Amino acid sequence: MDRAPAILLLGVGGAGCSMVARLLPVLPGEVGTLFLDTDERSLPAGAQTLQLGRQQTRGMGTGGEVGSGLAAAESEEAAVRRALAGSHVVVLVTGLGGGTGGGATPFVASCAAEAGATVLCFATMPFSHEGERRQREADQAATALATRCHGFVAVHNDLLLQQVPADAPLPDAFAAADAWVGGAIRGIAAAFAPGALVPADPSALRSLFPTPGSPTLCAFGDGEGQGAAMKAARAASDCPLAHGPGAVTKVASLFVHVAGGPELTSTDAFEAVAAVRTKFGGETATVLCARTDASLAGRVEVSVLGASLPVPRTAAKGRRGQKSGKVDDSQAIFPFATDDAVRRGYFGGAPMTIVEGQDIDVPTYIRKAVRLPAAP
Amino acid sequence: MNSNPLPSLIAVVDIGTAKTVSLVGQMIGGQARMLSFSERRTEGVVKGVVTDLEKLHALVHNVIHDVERGAGRNVEQVYLSLGGPAAEGERVKGLVMVPARDGKVTQKDFVEAVSSARRQEPAAGRTTILYMRQPTMLDGKPVASPVGMTGRRLEVSFWRVTMEDALVRMRVGMINGMSIRVRDFILASHAAACAVAEDADKHGGVLVVDMGAGTTDWILYYKDHILCAGSLPVGGEHLTNDLSVALRVSRETAEDLKCRFGSGVHREGDLNQTIWKDGDRGLGDQQFNRGAITKVLSLRYQETLDLVRKDVLRHLEGIFPGHNVRLDQHMVPSGVILAGGSANLADACEAVQQALGLTARVGVPRFDTESLRKPEYAGVVGLMRAAITDAPPAARRPRGLWDQIKALFRF
Repeated sequence: MDRAPAILLLGVGGAGCSMVARLLPVLPGEVGTLFLDTDERSLPAGAQTLQLGRQQTRGMGTGGEVGSGLAAAESEEAAVRRALAGSHVVVLVTGLGGGTGGGATPFVASCAAEAGATVLCFATMPFSHEGERRQREADQAATALATRCHGFVAVHNDLLLQQVPADAPLPDAFAAADAWVGGAIRGIAAAFAPGALVPADPSALRSLFPTPGSPTLCAFGDGEGQGAAMKAARAASDCPLAHGPGAVTKVASLFVHVAGGPELTSTDAFEAVAAVRTKFGGETATVLCARTDASLAGRVEVSVLGASLPVPRTAAKGRRGQKSGKVDDSQAIFPFATDDAVRRGYFGGAPMTIVEGQDIDVPTYIRKAVRLPAAP
Repeated sequence: MNSNPLPSLIAVVDIGTAKTVSLVGQMIGGQARMLSFSERRTEGVVKGVVTDLEKLHALVHNVIHDVERGAGRNVEQVYLSLGGPAAEGERVKGLVMVPARDGKVTQKDFVEAVSSARRQEPAAGRTTILYMRQPTMLDGKPVASPVGMTGRRLEVSFWRVTMEDALVRMRVGMINGMSIRVRDFILASHAAACAVAEDADKHGGVLVVDMGAGTTDWILYYKDHILCAGSLPVGGEHLTNDLSVALRVSRETAEDLKCRFGSGVHREGDLNQTIWKDGDRGLGDQQFNRGAITKVLSLRYQETLDLVRKDVLRHLEGIFPGHNVRLDQHMVPSGVILAGGSANLADACEAVQQALGLTARVGVPRFDTESLRKPEYAGVVGLMRAAITDAPPAARRPRGLWDQIKALFRF
């Protein structure tokens, strides 16, 4: 490797690798990719790969054991650090709930942060059908990741399913997930590529995420035809990534990337940015980046990344003799939006009511994955 | 032997998930007159299951005190409604081969068949609450009264409702704590049906769906008798909760929006309507897309109806195994009658038509007092009707042998 890429996209674990592999064809050339997994079968041939834990798992998966995922990553620490050295922005893509995703990703995130990179993490959370244990382990891993990455975005599989019609085939559902996450990553990556009309650099991104553990907002939308820019901005406002459980919808600093065909006018671009700002905030700082791309004729894509400063950890409580020193991590993000409360509402905390294998206290529209009309 | 006549003061108590109501009436010259009525918001019940006994206890006492004050007399015994998924129903059958050479059925044969049905013990830890009579079959043909007819095979069947011992003891203990006797339990869905369904409906076949706040109780009548009954732990609270989760509003706001803008059917036109929470467009007022409201509610409402349909079919399959019975216009010519608070949802009947393919109407209880002529009071009004007319013989656990026979014939 002659020079480390400014942006390194890392797929960690089976889910992460397959998602990055699906994104590979649509990524700009400036983005470096690396696949990390314990299971050698999920590492694509012909790409930069790093197999973890050859001694521990002998080329197999971890079987959902978080401990062995962590051990596998630690055994390859030197190689991981070598691969991460020199990158300005490291984007981790992973699926939580499994062994490698849940165990290795927090370790890799720490390594990347220590190497001086701005670390963003997109983590898919398991489907609610996958059971209590997986959900719990995913929650624990998410908590660990959120404190180590500069920006952490949880992608709720349940919510993504709602974005496709009920009768859509399964590949379409995954394609929709790729479209949101891929669009956001592509937007971030393209922003730093040469040729932007309003360029940005990785240090601008760093200024958005000064410390690890910032509550993060991520959204992506695209639009076509008449008023494409406004359509894209509206789609980004409704993006499910920004409306999942625990997601923040108002942030202090925003990074908005608008990409469109050669016909994109400055009025369109600034209108779109204004619409995004109205929705998401960005009062402290808004980093704007715009570019035209001949391949986007007639289309406009808006990617939004935002962050607030982490909620200051309340030291005063220690004086009153409550919770001295130890702060509940879940409170730092948003106190009410626990998964249980978001999905079950008033019945959150009450015993589940299982009818025909489903918890019928969860709203029907969530279980049937029905997309609701947008708010006016 | 318990053969005292119906006391002139009749008190009924219906404990629901949202509200607890009590009604006291008096038989004056063979006619029932309402003396007093009390309604309070229930506390300590979630999805039809008691979660805080102390609160519920205090509530029931308050409600009974209210009606006693209103009636100016002390209540000595009450009828309690019984519903929710804790009350399980099943069919029990008794069978005798008619011993007489000429095949003539005697009273003794009939009693023998009844006791053979009642000999079947409920599962361990459960108590039988009530028996409700189903058609008597003589050689596979339904007969109203088999005594004196000829045949070989006499079958009697009952719809038996059982409940866990502890739950029954808790309810009885709660009432006994006020020095009041529980005269009898009445199945909540049967009570609702007594208020809203005509005899002609029951004769042809009708499905009564009582969708309360926490539970949905249903009962199916066919040829004048109860064929089966069941309950699901879903109700109007789930509609409210879905809306509060979807729109991210408080439960109170969601309840208000449900009542004002909700519908059992989602229409394309709703998407173009923007509605305001308060309407004054002032500070704190919020706007919503009406399409989102109707979409969320119609999905839950129709899903609940679909669950009812599946539950009915599951019971029917248990009663007529292998017959592949369908819930259609032939089975229930009178269609569906909706009762309970959720029957007030707009387009509820159309939702039934879509979900079950049956005609439907909202059941308004027949009662003197105007304020109680609402679907949500079907339970308590029907409880009173059942207590006055049908219930004592139908629902009382027959104690002695003579009482059993009397009970059967008075149904």
